Amino acid sequence: MSMIRTIELTKKFGDFTANDKISFSVEPQEIKCIVGENGAGKSTLMNMLYGVLQPTSGTILIEEKGMCFKSPQDAIACGIGMVHQHFKLVPSLTVYENILLGAEIQKEWKGHKLLFIDKGEERRKVRELIDRYHFQLNVDDRVENLSVGLCQQIEILKMLYRNVKILILDEPTSVLTPQEVDRLVENLKDLRDAGKTIVVITHKLREVMELSDSITVIKAGKVVGNVLTKDTCERDLAQMMVGRDVVLTVSNEGGSTSGTETRYQAEKLTTINDFGKNVLNEVSFEVKAGEILGIAGVEGNGQSELVKVLTGVMLAKQGKVLIDGKDITNLWPKQLRESGLGIIPEDRYGQGLCRTMSIADNCIAGYLDDPEVNRFGILQSRPMGRLRDRYIEKYDIRVGDKHGEVSQLSGGNAQKIIIAREFENNPRLIIACQPTRGVDVGSIEFIHKQLLAFRNAGNSVLLISSELSEIMSLSDRVAVMYKGEIIDEVDPKTASTSDIGLLMAGMKQEKGGASA
Amino acid sequence: MKGKGFAVKLINTILPVLLAFSIGGILILVTGENPFEVYGIMFGKSLFTSKGFGNTLHYASPLILTGLAIAITFKANIFNMGVQGQLMFGGFFAGIAGAYITGMSSLPHQLLCFAVGALCGVAFAMIPALLRAYFKVDEMVVTLTFNYAMIKVLEYLSSGPFREQGSGYVCTPTIQGSAMFTRLGDSRLTGFFFVALALFAVMWIVMKKSSLGYQVTAIGQNPEFAEATGMRVRRKILLLMAISGALAGIAGAGYMMSEEFKYTLTFSGSPGLGWDGMLIALLGRHSPVGILIASIFYSALKTGADNINMYTNVPKEVVAVIQGLMILFLAVRFLDERYDLKSRIRTLRKPAEEDMEK
Repeated sequence: MSMIRTIELTKKFGDFTANDKISFSVEPQEIKCIVGENGAGKSTLMNMLYGVLQPTSGTILIEEKGMCFKSPQDAIACGIGMVHQHFKLVPSLTVYENILLGAEIQKEWKGHKLLFIDKGEERRKVRELIDRYHFQLNVDDRVENLSVGLCQQIEILKMLYRNVKILILDEPTSVLTPQEVDRLVENLKDLRDAGKTIVVITHKLREVMELSDSITVIKAGKVVGNVLTKDTCERDLAQMMVGRDVVLTVSNEGGSTSGTETRYQAEKLTTINDFGKNVLNEVSFEVKAGEILGIAGVEGNGQSELVKVLTGVMLAKQGKVLIDGKDITNLWPKQLRESGLGIIPEDRYGQGLCRTMSIADNCIAGYLDDPEVNRFGILQSRPMGRLRDRYIEKYDIRVGDKHGEVSQLSGGNAQKIIIAREFENNPRLIIACQPTRGVDVGSIEFIHKQLLAFRNAGNSVLLISSELSEIMSLSDRVAVMYKGEIIDEVDPKTASTSDIGLLMAGMKQEKGGASA
Repeated sequence: MKGKGFAVKLINTILPVLLAFSIGGILILVTGENPFEVYGIMFGKSLFTSKGFGNTLHYASPLILTGLAIAITFKANIFNMGVQGQLMFGGFFAGIAGAYITGMSSLPHQLLCFAVGALCGVAFAMIPALLRAYFKVDEMVVTLTFNYAMIKVLEYLSSGPFREQGSGYVCTPTIQGSAMFTRLGDSRLTGFFFVALALFAVMWIVMKKSSLGYQVTAIGQNPEFAEATGMRVRRKILLLMAISGALAGIAGAGYMMSEEFKYTLTFSGSPGLGWDGMLIALLGRHSPVGILIASIFYSALKTGADNINMYTNVPKEVVAVIQGLMILFLAVRFLDERYDLKSRIRTLRKPAEEDMEK
């Protein structure tokens, strides 16, 4: 008997088919990983299982009974729980309050429910739950003081409290440090052994191999492979996802050509966010010509703010930024680009592209004054078309309709438009923030090669990424950010992942017993 | 323009108009007339006689400008609801310049009046624009309420300092002959229409072809993107409000010099040329060509209304009812514009076919 079985499940949005006759099954007490490139339709599939979306056609069977979920409430009642990529917790409440939110236990008096909440009973129940599954939480801690890894545990407990038999996790590892990932893997395996069935959506192949019992690969809305983990390897999976051979880590040979010339320099950058909180604290670093400096760190430790300050959309309160000795602190994005900066922003559809504008329009964004396309303030449509065609050809951007909007493109191809635009305007330094987030494996390879070629031509790259493997394989030096500061710098060739992982968690080792 | 979903947009624009006319038709039927005949007279007189068509173009002139004034800001997601006030302010002082400055020859005088109108429109639009750009005050509220303040200010000015003493009702002095547009032919059509047409051409280039138009679209579609790719959003807000105010002011000045010749308390009629501009921008989908067509159509309705009065027993208020219904129905998007028509028909047909198979 299967725990979950779908028969020819199809979901259409207009004339776009997100899921095309998907049939797969999950056995009881197994960890199933659903892998696929971004946009392959993994989330759509899970949202149908969880009742967020309703299928266009096809059937969902839970324990061989046909189900039709109208909302997540129906799914939870059926024993299906989902942990979302972005947590839904109340920071000012404690652990137990969050877990019981919406299911509070009321005090009783002679069998009648009173208006008051029975906190003692709530605490006891949650503590029992935590002990049963060997989680490491203190019921009375406030959520705002907890790390992301612990918050995720709360999310999982929330579902366990509601007695779900099936747990779905959407990209659970994207916000965790390597150590926290290990912890999660352990927890999930414990849960499986305790009788739960677990479905994990992810595109990180290494974790898939560590975690899962069986794997379903989805490509362009269709199931392209069902394999047992013991019968496969990362390379095979990647090939299934993309449909061709891919290089998982590009070789960073040729090495750094860095001389001593400093290309880009940040000195004691400090800034506060809208709530007056210090989010960057005296951040200093320099990037030499012909060098890639990687900035690693768990998301939310000031990297986004650093990029915002460096790209001119947030003001630095203190500190300086120099490019080739020229002061460019707090200049407008347009002036920064004119000073030789290329910007690959963190949020592709927020800051990098405008989905509802045409591909050609997006190809000139940020470079409107380029005389090739702009004559006396009038944009020349024919040269714009030529520019677009050139980018499409050179960067192998796959478009359905080249006159259409950017919204039709997959994540990888959309990202390539940004890459083309920024690289083609002859920058001396590229700030690349999460350049391969949500991008398919084939495009990741392409983007990595572009960055390396750019570096090898004597230019510089500032690479900010939460993808540790990306940082490790591309960078010449790695700086680690924690709580708005750069706490250490390491050499990726000698440092191990766990060294950096400790730094990302804020634990700085004392080297050679230097100070105490 | 003929991109994906053009047909859907067209249907979404024409359907409300047809609905409004059908309900208007029922009203006409109730008064005992044949609606087709009445509509025939209305459009026949306003579009298919040379005099009527001239009048239609004449009344369309300020509407083209106010429609554009609204569209350019709405496209950037800035809501200049104060076009009416800016138009009245511009019109009033264009009238003052036209009346009190004497001894100029015609063309310079008219240009001067246009300049005064445009400047007044800009000045009045700048207050909410600055508040919005520097203090994040909602420009929609400010521009909206300023209209009513302007009505009262002009009421004071026209009944006090600038009142024409010899007149039996509240008005300002009539403008000099040199500031008046002369009629071309037997209709009311004047050179103002061609001024409006020229500005339309300029705005078409600005909105469709220029780097500024690109930025307006970007700011409207995704302000974060606009800022990150180097557009100075704050400056653009000021610039757009200035353009919008200038167009409104010019519309007022032109209306003053080609139709009213003096400021009265009913200067721009009811509900007002600025408010009409809002409906026109909506009807024209904020696209310049759409606005041009919508202005002429709307103006044909207005001139046609007088003909209904003259040739049939139907009260001309029925046209006001149709206008109101049009606004109501335009607020409804009958078809979802995310999908184009072809795929819609396909998906509609499919379930039907599946039913047949069963």
